[in-house]
Amino acid sequence: MTAPPEGSFLSGQLPAAAEEPAAAAELAAAYEEPGLGRRALTSLRRDPVALISVLAVVVLALVAVFAPLLAPHNPLQAYPNGLSADGAPIAPGSQFLLGTDPNGRDVLSRLIYGAQVSLLVGVVATSLASIIGVLVGGIAGYAGGIVDSVLMRITDVVLSFPILLFCIALIAITGPSTRNVMLVIAFGYWTYLARIVRGLVLSLKEREFVIAARTLGIGHSAILRRHILPHLVPAIIVYSTLGVATSILIEASLSYLGIGVPLPQASWGQMISQGQQYFQSAPWLLIAPGVALIVTVLAFNLAGDWLTDLLDPETTGARR
Amino acid sequence: MTDPAHVQSIATEQTAAAPPVVDVRDLRVHFKVHRGLLGSQLVKAVDGVSFAIAAGETLGLAGESGSGKSTVARTLVRINRPTDGSVLLAGAETARLSGQDLRAYRRRMQMVYQDPYDSLDPKMTIKDAIGEGLSVRGVPRARRKSEVEELLARVNLPVALAGRYPGQLSGGQRQRVSIARALAVSPEVIICDEAVAALDVSIRAQVLNLLKDIQADAGVSYLFISHDLSTLRFMADRIAIMYVGRLVEYGAAEQVFSQPAHPYTQALMAAVPDIANLGGPRPAPLPGEPPNPASPPPGCAFHPRCPLAVDLCRTVAPPLVRKATGQLAACHVVPDAPEVTP
Amino acid sequence: MDLVADVITVEHLTVAFPAREGTGEVVRDVSLAIGAGERVGLVGESGSGKSLTARAIMRLIPQPGRVTDGTVCFDGAELGAKSAPTKWRGTKIAMITQDPLSSLNPLVKIGTQITEMLRYHRGLRRAEATAKAEELLRSVGIPDPRRTMTRYPAVLSGGMRQRVALAIAISCEPRLLIADEPTTALDVTVQAQVLTLLERMTAEHGSAVLLISHDLGVVGNFCDRLLVMYAGRIVESGPTAAVISDPAHPYTRALIASIPSLRGELPDRLASIPGSPPHGGAQAAGCAFAPRCPMAREVCRQTDPALLKISDLRTGPGDSHQAACHALGDENWNQAA
Repeated sequence: MTAPPEGSFLSGQLPAAAEEPAAAAELAAAYEEPGLGRRALTSLRRDPVALISVLAVVVLALVAVFAPLLAPHNPLQAYPNGLSADGAPIAPGSQFLLGTDPNGRDVLSRLIYGAQVSLLVGVVATSLASIIGVLVGGIAGYAGGIVDSVLMRITDVVLSFPILLFCIALIAITGPSTRNVMLVIAFGYWTYLARIVRGLVLSLKEREFVIAARTLGIGHSAILRRHILPHLVPAIIVYSTLGVATSILIEASLSYLGIGVPLPQASWGQMISQGQQYFQSAPWLLIAPGVALIVTVLAFNLAGDWLTDLLDPETTGARR
Repeated sequence: MTDPAHVQSIATEQTAAAPPVVDVRDLRVHFKVHRGLLGSQLVKAVDGVSFAIAAGETLGLAGESGSGKSTVARTLVRINRPTDGSVLLAGAETARLSGQDLRAYRRRMQMVYQDPYDSLDPKMTIKDAIGEGLSVRGVPRARRKSEVEELLARVNLPVALAGRYPGQLSGGQRQRVSIARALAVSPEVIICDEAVAALDVSIRAQVLNLLKDIQADAGVSYLFISHDLSTLRFMADRIAIMYVGRLVEYGAAEQVFSQPAHPYTQALMAAVPDIANLGGPRPAPLPGEPPNPASPPPGCAFHPRCPLAVDLCRTVAPPLVRKATGQLAACHVVPDAPEVTP
Repeated sequence: MDLVADVITVEHLTVAFPAREGTGEVVRDVSLAIGAGERVGLVGESGSGKSLTARAIMRLIPQPGRVTDGTVCFDGAELGAKSAPTKWRGTKIAMITQDPLSSLNPLVKIGTQITEMLRYHRGLRRAEATAKAEELLRSVGIPDPRRTMTRYPAVLSGGMRQRVALAIAISCEPRLLIADEPTTALDVTVQAQVLTLLERMTAEHGSAVLLISHDLGVVGNFCDRLLVMYAGRIVESGPTAAVISDPAHPYTRALIASIPSLRGELPDRLASIPGSPPHGGAQAAGCAFAPRCPMAREVCRQTDPALLKISDLRTGPGDSHQAACHALGDENWNQAA
């Protein structure tokens, strides 16, 4: 065999710094992964169901935000021409696109404002629940020991109540109002996220990069902020999305029972409750809010599922 | 095994050369493991280990599963707390530190981990990961960028990688980033816990050469932990072999490799499939398996597998003393150096 | 290929995975032959395609990969997608892997897993199967076979599990045993035991062995013949002694030079190869090793070299020493540019 050329790796010298960057850069380019945005768009293109649900969520949000601009009439106003000659609600027609309710109020406008209420309650309640859940679960998981035990027992107690009954009980204490509905849902829903966050934090705590950070001498609050929290974000997003769906449903249930959003403010739950009584004579009173509720909750749930699939692989992050 | 004599013999080994940077004396790490409803068992992962590392020197720590070598590493960086014994860093006792003092100590002893894929936060860019180390040292933000670039150059990585995420790097590159992060705090000692075991063979040589260069450059001491004796022979100046929580052999690397004293060391070396030794006669492999540290055999833990075992071995644990060949070994059968047993 | 009939003949095997860029071929044009009772080693690092080659022989490529070209013949007959795998998998060709916890069912007792094999493939009755299983466990060195048969895999140590896996693999006297990194996860002293056991069992049962490992020492000490793979291709093949003492391909040479040794001279630095092995399928034209090769020239970057014979050394079936490098035989390679 011929002798290896001078300066080659076979004679044991370290490759010149110039060689390494070339090899490394070429390899670095090969590992380029598409960003989150691009992956999201690709996956939406492939999955029509997910695409429709995400669009529905977006549309709903827009409707809720721009309610005053979109609603053709004032939802709280009882229009004199809203009722027929013998005082019955008017069927859908040119003036009241979805008809009127027994008080002469425009159903469409109430539906649109109802969307606003639903979304408002959903988002606020879920955000509050997320904050409480992350705090409780994070502290329990990270601190461990007796703190963990105490916090988890409290969580278990709340979890043992079916959430709707829990909310009904709390509302009975606080009295019905939109604000109380939000608070009450938050106090019922935080437990689910607390459980999940605790589990995540427990396993994150043992990951080698967290141990490496402790070895570096990084303090606990910095570790929680820099290393633990970013890894919780995907789970938080997913559960918040599903949480909005649940919150909307609970709010609708409470309003249906008459202990949620008080009249005369419009809420899909109340509208359903009212529509039930008039189902024979004025079916549009039940169908409109019913369909709205189903579509909304379904859209949020499916969008949440899609988000899970999208964000979950990113949680681990490692490529082998 | 609180035998002052053997601890002393290790100490004299060291002071002859240079005052040690790391001086571990009779380290014990015991874990309580809960079994079922009632019982709990004491697992003596590390049971009376002493060694010393001089400045700029590499001590190799070898052993198989259950030997306790990883526990030693994790205890030195205080992931585990020592149950007993002392750890002196440049003469100062550090085994019982806490709070601010512990933080200061942590800066002086760093670790490079086995798993290149998990030891870096996948959501942090490389420059942030290394920057974290710099922040511990108190480097102001303005200077961090240039220092990160300097560190990347030192580990032979292109500066372009600074903005990337670990998922975009190869295993060898990630390991270099871990080394750069460890260097960022300017430690006196770096513990390499199987740092190259998870890398491809052709990449290991790069990283090993790099470690040697850094040592020559910065005078860092290494505690190099590996199950691979061939790698240890290349890296270590002195070597310590562990078996079920105790040291069985300790001495200069060349001495131990050319004339292993303890039968376990000899068996370990014979078991390594070496390409330099193809076609040569292969000795019968050592029978049995490394014992469970929760229930080690009485006396010398190696006796069930040892070809030289005698009655004494089954009852009395042998002390670590100087043997005729020059290094320290814990064996009743191997002849001692003349000054130990006249 | 030779006088002695080959147990397995692989020709021009190509396995591809769907890829965004490039062909996605992770095994490219691999041909090999294993004779009866022969011990062949397949050496490579990550991305070399060695494990997938083994799985291609077993027709067990994980989705979405596919065999896009080439044939695998067992005892002369082609193993296609249609040939009923249960007739030969486990019985004529058996496999043990790195982690026996994945090949052993953790929820089924060990005894049951062995007797299941014996009853299904060899039609033994329950009592016969139990007796044979015990005998098998004893022959692989399990200390208390009867008790072990009642236990679950998780309570055994790694070495013991590999012995059980070996017992199951051997139970139907396969003609070929594929061992994919069987000792990588084991302690070095246990590794020595398992390799010795593997040697003895395959000799006793007359099985050929395809041993796959990244550890040159392991394959070097066990196998008669070595195949070195890089980026999906075989870059060197030949009798073990020849490949290790006189490697022809620059990659093999560099690999051997970069491994620290337990005996012999101690270098100051290890000879290292710059860059990293390429991963999964994306490659430009030309020799895959060219970016890292100090002897690379223009021709290397353009055309992939074919396997050329170095010597006509005949020591057994499928034996000549071959390497895939443009520089082979060219005395003046290094003088020119």
